[in-house]
Amino acid sequence: MSFEPIWGAPIAWYLFLAGLGGGAFVTSAFLRWRHPEAVNMRKAGHIIAPVVVMIGLVLLMIDAEAGLHHPLRFALLLHNPFSVMTWGVVFLAAFMVIALVVLLLDFLKKRVPAWLEVAGVVFAVCVAMYTGALLGVCKTFPLWNNALLPILFLVSAMSAGAASVLLVGALRFAGEFEVVGLLKKAHYCLPLVEIVLVAALCFITSYNSTAGFDSVMGLVCGSWAPLFWLGLVIVGLVAPTAVETWLLFFAPKEFEESSKARMVSVGVDACVLVGGFLLRYLVVMAALPVVFVM
Amino acid sequence: MSENAITRRSFLAGSAGVAALAAAGGYMSFGAWKQACADEPASDEGSWFAYSMCNACSSKCGYKAYVKRGRLSKLIPNEYDAHAQGKICARGYGYPAIVYSEDRLTDPLKKNDKGEFEVISWEQAYQEIGDKVKAILDSDGPQALAMVQDPRPSGAYYTKRFMDALGSPNFYTHGAACNISKASGFSQVIGAGDFSADVENSKMIMYIGRSVADAVRPAHLLALQKAHDNGAKVVMVDPRCNNSTVFADEWLPVNPGTDLAFLLAMSHVLIRDGIYDAAYVAENVVGFDEFAAGVKDCTPAWAEAICGIPAADIERLAVEFSQAAPAACIDAGWRGAFGNQYANSGETARAIAVFNTLLGCWNQKGGALFLPSVSAGKLDEEKFPAVPKPEGKKVGSEEYPLASSSMGVNVFAAQRAKEGAIKGMFFYNSNMVAGYSNPVYLQECLDALDLCVVVDIQMSETALCADYVLPECSFLERLELPAFNGGKVPSVSLRDKVLDIVHPNTKPCDEIFTGLAEACGVGEYFPFTVEELADAQLKSVGLSLDALRKVGTISFPEKAFEYGKAPKWKTPSEKIQFVSEACVAAGYTPAPTWVAPAVTPAGGNQFRLITGKQAMHSHTMTANCEPLMAITQDYDLTRIWMNADRAEQLGISDGDEVEISNDQHTGRCRVKVTQRLNPTAVFLPPAYGCSSKDQHTAYGIGLRSTDFQAYQLENGYGSTMSHEILVTVKKVGA
Amino acid sequence: MARYGMLINTKKCVGCFACRTACQRQNDLLPNESFIKFHEFERGTYPNVTIEHVPTQCMHCVDAPCQAVCPTGATYTTEDGIVCVDHGRCIGCKYCMAACPYGARVVNEETGAVDKCRFCTVSALDGTEMCTCVTACPTGVRIFGDLDDPESEVSKQIAELNAQPIDGDLTEAKVFYVR
Repeated sequence: MSFEPIWGAPIAWYLFLAGLGGGAFVTSAFLRWRHPEAVNMRKAGHIIAPVVVMIGLVLLMIDAEAGLHHPLRFALLLHNPFSVMTWGVVFLAAFMVIALVVLLLDFLKKRVPAWLEVAGVVFAVCVAMYTGALLGVCKTFPLWNNALLPILFLVSAMSAGAASVLLVGALRFAGEFEVVGLLKKAHYCLPLVEIVLVAALCFITSYNSTAGFDSVMGLVCGSWAPLFWLGLVIVGLVAPTAVETWLLFFAPKEFEESSKARMVSVGVDACVLVGGFLLRYLVVMAALPVVFVM
Repeated sequence: MSENAITRRSFLAGSAGVAALAAAGGYMSFGAWKQACADEPASDEGSWFAYSMCNACSSKCGYKAYVKRGRLSKLIPNEYDAHAQGKICARGYGYPAIVYSEDRLTDPLKKNDKGEFEVISWEQAYQEIGDKVKAILDSDGPQALAMVQDPRPSGAYYTKRFMDALGSPNFYTHGAACNISKASGFSQVIGAGDFSADVENSKMIMYIGRSVADAVRPAHLLALQKAHDNGAKVVMVDPRCNNSTVFADEWLPVNPGTDLAFLLAMSHVLIRDGIYDAAYVAENVVGFDEFAAGVKDCTPAWAEAICGIPAADIERLAVEFSQAAPAACIDAGWRGAFGNQYANSGETARAIAVFNTLLGCWNQKGGALFLPSVSAGKLDEEKFPAVPKPEGKKVGSEEYPLASSSMGVNVFAAQRAKEGAIKGMFFYNSNMVAGYSNPVYLQECLDALDLCVVVDIQMSETALCADYVLPECSFLERLELPAFNGGKVPSVSLRDKVLDIVHPNTKPCDEIFTGLAEACGVGEYFPFTVEELADAQLKSVGLSLDALRKVGTISFPEKAFEYGKAPKWKTPSEKIQFVSEACVAAGYTPAPTWVAPAVTPAGGNQFRLITGKQAMHSHTMTANCEPLMAITQDYDLTRIWMNADRAEQLGISDGDEVEISNDQHTGRCRVKVTQRLNPTAVFLPPAYGCSSKDQHTAYGIGLRSTDFQAYQLENGYGSTMSHEILVTVKKVGA
Repeated sequence: MARYGMLINTKKCVGCFACRTACQRQNDLLPNESFIKFHEFERGTYPNVTIEHVPTQCMHCVDAPCQAVCPTGATYTTEDGIVCVDHGRCIGCKYCMAACPYGARVVNEETGAVDKCRFCTVSALDGTEMCTCVTACPTGVRIFGDLDDPESEVSKQIAELNAQPIDGDLTEAKVFYVR
């Protein structure tokens, strides 16, 4: 009997969007701290955060079919304090409340208190880490059951969040986009870290068990290889890093501030977002269970 | 048979109010089962139970079926049923889902001029079929009509009576595509078409091409396990390492189609070394010297070159047999290896009967037994008028003189339809087109008919060829005639009506054939209902329908088998015949000698295509049943098996898609690379390759072995030679 | 109070799937919803081959990972040690399926809820006085009973045959195997 993945694309989207939302919120906070002048981009992050998390939660509820038929059952979600999913519900709920309050304050043109922004950042990080921990506690799947995964998902979440805010900046707020140099530099570093983490995940997982080896082989030379190499590694990680390296360090100054450069940035950010989704999708789909009978 | 079986006498005693009367030694009373029944929960509205019998294969295992809110609920196998013995197989539990299948036939259908089926009324169906039958009778006589059916308790009775009433001798079972060679070959030697190995008491038992764990009759599987647990030597001769080998001591992966060489060589050793039962042979056998002369050169070394079993093993097994005799025998098998597979299947069956005779094991404890059965006695002639025996000979009985007369060569009747001699054919519980031989050829045969009527519950490939399709209700929705089962203690079991009719315009087969008989002008032979007939049959053996309904199975301990009793040999000489004039007339040697299979694979990418059973399917019968097909899908069971060494030579890996082709057909499926198969063959699982789009669960899944099978019949015996197929296999894209 | 468990003797299993379809019929499961899975092994090389069929199902772990992750409390353990699913609480998040190392859980496609072997003896009705798979098995592969009762058939056989959980201490399983 061949193994069928337990979760599919909807859950991959959910994991990605939850991380993206957290990342976008953290990006906004970062902008407030280091680039207070980029007001519109900050607000954009505040809009992205609750919206994408909301979409993710809807997908999650659609995937949880028994709950979809009986929505009241979702009220039971806080029942088990030892379940990572319960923590996730707490983190998501707290984050959503804060993100929506922040959005409301933005909308009312009122100042967001710093403590609220900090609390939001804390829960945003929790949400992003939780998406990794959710999978990470499943001992059955070596590709998930390791301490790297929450870190990788966190880094990827921050990367995707920053990319989404930068994308909006490049398209809508060119003036602000030109001045958020520190954010760009931070954003540039994240895919580099991710590359290292993905490589480490593959190496370590492939050595820890047969199922881990088979999972990694499925990614690097099996049925998932085209998506892994072309989609995640080239499009999602290497290409953004390479193009950004050129933009940041080698491109002529005049080009760097041109509209063409902004379009290149848009492309790079889109690639980062694609990579962010593919990372979740591949991790969800390619994981094989430990063989318990042989 | 359990010691607590309900017996005829204890039942009567119980119903007379004499509780706890142990009527026959070892058999418990009516009171015991009454007590058991009292423990049942009281039935609430829409809930009840009734005794029925499975219809997923010919074993017809008995069970008690519970109904809740009008729908089928649990099944509890009947401990006392001869074949079930308290267990039913995967098919037994899964097959009832067919009752609720969306693919059920719900109304009588007629094929219009465009070749499409239209719903018609029963009246119209009866009327038109009756008119056509009468027209055929007028123009060509009853010889131009034929019936093919896979025997079920009511079906076998009503279809036979219907044909008798029409005056046609052309009454066939599915046998030519199942076990005709076995039954016919045995008959030539021992005058009986079958025997029962006393497996649980044997010291050595050999199965040839029979896997009781893959073609499950629970009683057979339980007996094998008992033999194994008792320390009996169990030998499995099969090109495939089948699932019964779990309980076997040895697996002999014989080259398919060469079991006869193996048998002749074992006989050679027994005779050469004088370790056969000479006294028994001298007293009971005709033609021993001719047989002995014939196997003089059939040495183990000679056989090894043909069958692939090492000579030393053949020598050793023959000696072990002689040491274990008479508590030893070769099992009678069912279909596999010598039921209808090879050009030498009938002769293989003869050789098995001969070999068992050399062991002197007939009716000996642990040997090969002829078990008694009970049948209905004489019935009231007025209520159940006797039907005159049809004149003339069954079509095919001259061309295939060795074929069992009760089975007949069904596909030959179809061939005669193509040739214009048969004009009208009826099919009941039979999917000849997909299951018996080459479907393209058989379809052409049926297309040539003036009248083709199929009675079924779903649109089989045969039904697709019909002019009229008559929808039967499913087996759980009808009462059938009692099934008398042979056994050490013979018994009778009942298929009672469990469920209300699901589709109101379907009918049970007794009503269908009564209606057809009336329409054909022979209704005077059917002036009774199935209930009346069942009750009369049971009364003729001292029981009643009411009594059987209450318990499902009743046994006849007074008719029980006794060891050591010499059987009556129903052969021309009334002895065991190692030689047969009928076989000589059909072109065989007087005593069985080596006959080569019709084809031999050349190696390279050529294989013999063989098939067999998987425990969750019965040919085309169960493929459209969702819970059973779900197993196929979950475990990718449509894969064709190939020996690992051969696969490696051909660059084929497990799970690869391969193309299988010969001059009849080309098809693709995935391959299961295995150590469990003789290298000269590929094994194609049965039951798949359904080509009827109206069977939505089964359609298009897997390959069908008959598509690769040429229409050809075994000399004399008339079997369809289902394993005389050569195919080439290559990796797709290679 | 009992601590229910099962012994599965694969030496007797012929892989006939009777337990699977019996379980489906008696527990009214969907055609593609099976609580029992089969693992087939062939060992050796032609013609010296042995085969083994290993049926697996919910192991009713004392430390059930499915229960640990279930966010709604739909998965719970009875006093008798039977791990159960309360269908009325299940949202179908499938987290338990990801957590179960035995792949023992399946989604009911009609309700979306997750289900698994229930050690159905406890709710036995209509003539079944024992787990369906135990009574259905033609070759007596399975024995069910109270692991705390040293006199129970299952306890005695586990001791006599030195039956072990399918994968060591992967979890504290209450289904024991003879292989």
